[in-house]
Amino acid sequence: MIQLFHVTKYYEGCLALSDISLRIDKGECVLLTGPSGAGKTSLLKLIFGAEHPDDGQILVQNRNIARLRRADVPYHRRTMGFVLQDFKLLPHRTVFENVALPLIIRGLSSFESRRKVIEALRAVGMEHKQTTLASVLSAGEQQRACIARAIVNSPIILLADEPTGNLDPQLTIEIAELFKAINARGTTVMMATHNRQVVEQLNGRVLRLDCGHLLSDQGASA
Amino acid sequence: MKRLWYFIREAYISLRTHQASTVIGIITTAFTLTSFGTFLLLYHNVHNLIGRVQTNIQIIVYPKDSIEPQKLQDLKKAIQTESAIDSVTLISKKDATKDFTHQFPDEAYLLDGLGKNPFPASLVLNLAHTIPSTDVVSNLVNRLQQNPNIDRVRYNRDWIERLTLIITYLEIGALIVGGVLALASITIIANTVQLAFYTRQEEIEILRLIGGTNLFISIPYLIEGAVIGGLGGGIALVFLRGGFEFFKHKTGTLSVIGGFSSVFEFFPFSLSLLLISGGILLGCIGTLTSMYGWMRFRL
Repeated sequence: MIQLFHVTKYYEGCLALSDISLRIDKGECVLLTGPSGAGKTSLLKLIFGAEHPDDGQILVQNRNIARLRRADVPYHRRTMGFVLQDFKLLPHRTVFENVALPLIIRGLSSFESRRKVIEALRAVGMEHKQTTLASVLSAGEQQRACIARAIVNSPIILLADEPTGNLDPQLTIEIAELFKAINARGTTVMMATHNRQVVEQLNGRVLRLDCGHLLSDQGASA
Repeated sequence: MKRLWYFIREAYISLRTHQASTVIGIITTAFTLTSFGTFLLLYHNVHNLIGRVQTNIQIIVYPKDSIEPQKLQDLKKAIQTESAIDSVTLISKKDATKDFTHQFPDEAYLLDGLGKNPFPASLVLNLAHTIPSTDVVSNLVNRLQQNPNIDRVRYNRDWIERLTLIITYLEIGALIVGGVLALASITIIANTVQLAFYTRQEEIEILRLIGGTNLFISIPYLIEGAVIGGLGGGIALVFLRGGFEFFKHKTGTLSVIGGFSSVFEFFPFSLSLLLISGGILLGCIGTLTSMYGWMRFRL
């Protein structure tokens, strides 16, 4: 599903990732851990096509991301969902409109869009909030809406960068549960987090990064 | 359909949100197109006027005095076949005398002392309504001058050449003025759209995050630019029409221009549409200029 071969990335001369090689199979739940500046976000960005590696190759569903043409990047992104720490919702749009956005981009019919949006909102327990403006949602609700938007396209890979970073412990448990449920349905989940509680709750494969180096790769615990 | 509705709604939201810059964009485009339109209107009317005057320009052919009547008729027929010529009128020596006595009755006595009719016969050639170029007319005159049955040919060559020169200058002027004004308009619309880009930067980032292509992100802004340009064009057209009617009303009573006032006309419908389309095009170019720089290096 996702393969990295000796990937190295620099930002203005500073090393962000150094010679990273790994393989992630379909349906895996991978947790990227490590301190701030370890390279977690950089790794996600490379897989997402937001950055190009300075060295090495990245294969996502047998497609070489390192050689992806600029025009093909949006189509690559449509195959995956991305959840961020700061939600990135359109504040003056309703929850429904926010979640429907990826479907509008894909050009789905109104009927099909509605069905998928309701399905995604139901999956995150936000069905009753579909007409609420994103700006009046609580942090937990905003993150749920963001997850609904990420899964509305039924992506095969779901990337998340510190999705619980802005949430209290109770909400963190709820959001982690959502990711667990999404992963249980067969979606590959790759999450950057330094929240021990989330790591334990998701019980996935843990990749530990530090200063751009992959320090350890531990499989799912029993 | 859902996408189209999305694009229109996004453009509407952007226009509504940035009311001040939208109004500035529309006013600037209207001003630019009014200035350009004034020049175009001037050109259009001078072109019309020249066309009318040019059709009244005549070439007068004087056949040799010794020409036989049949040959004169043949010459008339031959000239009539020329594409640059609309009509040929034969004025016989007798008609020429009659014209003279009619126009100058007090001087008619001068002819009494002359035994022979001093006036030559002539062929008066009217140019075709679709105005032939100077080259075509010169060519025809040269050919006529070489005809053994023709004594001389008279036509206002300078007059035709001057008119052609005026049209050429007007065309060049319209191009330069239009080009400069169009550039100004493009720059202002580009800035208006760029402002919208900056204020909606986060929204654009979100669209990129969820797989929006540059085209998908750009279309609402293109619509926005087109609306600003189109409205500017429409307002310019209203200003021009108002200004034109006012000018016509005021100059209709003036003796100097009054004679020409019936010749003045506003743009035909197609040219009016062209002005609005021009506004839309300026708007789109302005948007594209702004977007090109903005999106060029973003993944």
